[in-house]
Amino acid sequence: MIQVNIKCFSQVKYALETDEINLELEAGTTTVELEKIIREKAEGKLDQVSLRVAINQKYVPNETELKEGDEVVFIPPVQGG
Amino acid sequence: MVTIEIVNGPLIPFPSDDTRKEDGAELIFNGRVRSTENGRKITNLEYEQYEGMARIELNQIAEETVGKFMIHDLFCRHRIGKVKVGEVSLHVVIWSKHRKEGLEAVTYFIAELKKRVPIWKWAILEDGTKVPSECTHG
Repeated sequence: MIQVNIKCFSQVKYALETDEINLELEAGTTTVELEKIIREKAEGKLDQVSLRVAINQKYVPNETELKEGDEVVFIPPVQGG
Repeated sequence: MVTIEIVNGPLIPFPSDDTRKEDGAELIFNGRVRSTENGRKITNLEYEQYEGMARIELNQIAEETVGKFMIHDLFCRHRIGKVKVGEVSLHVVIWSKHRKEGLEAVTYFIAELKKRVPIWKWAILEDGTKVPSECTHG
């Protein structure tokens, strides 16, 4: 098993009503599998929201395998400016 | 040279520079908060960042812009936290020898910022309700 920390921003924070979640996952879990868990926790509130993923402050491709201690952020469409 | 700052509080513009002898263009962009979000009246936007990554991405885009276009310097300040309607949330200054490459560089920099930098807006409505902004256009 591995522990990961998920930080929540914008629509993800609004849907889950929290700033962060710590989860214990099976070793070998990928970002796609974790995104599915997060979307299920949101109970439909993220269904219309596209999400990119960053691990340890860098965008990563889908299906990246998570490692012990990773900081994960599912990034809704950004809105700077 | 690139200067990037993410600031929580009033945004002080970079001063105009009369000492530059090789730059024919000094381009200044100020992005301001509009009074409506998707047709709803607002009093403020509240900008939220993914601290650390927002600065890394902004700096990377600025370096890319300086490398891609014939410009000399790019300075950028982006506010986070509450910004009132009418106030500046994004301030960019680019110096270049000629106007054309400077204008193209400003356009590229802001377009990439709006695609990649993990900063988001929360709309503060007139009744005080705070909701994620639905504004995602470039």
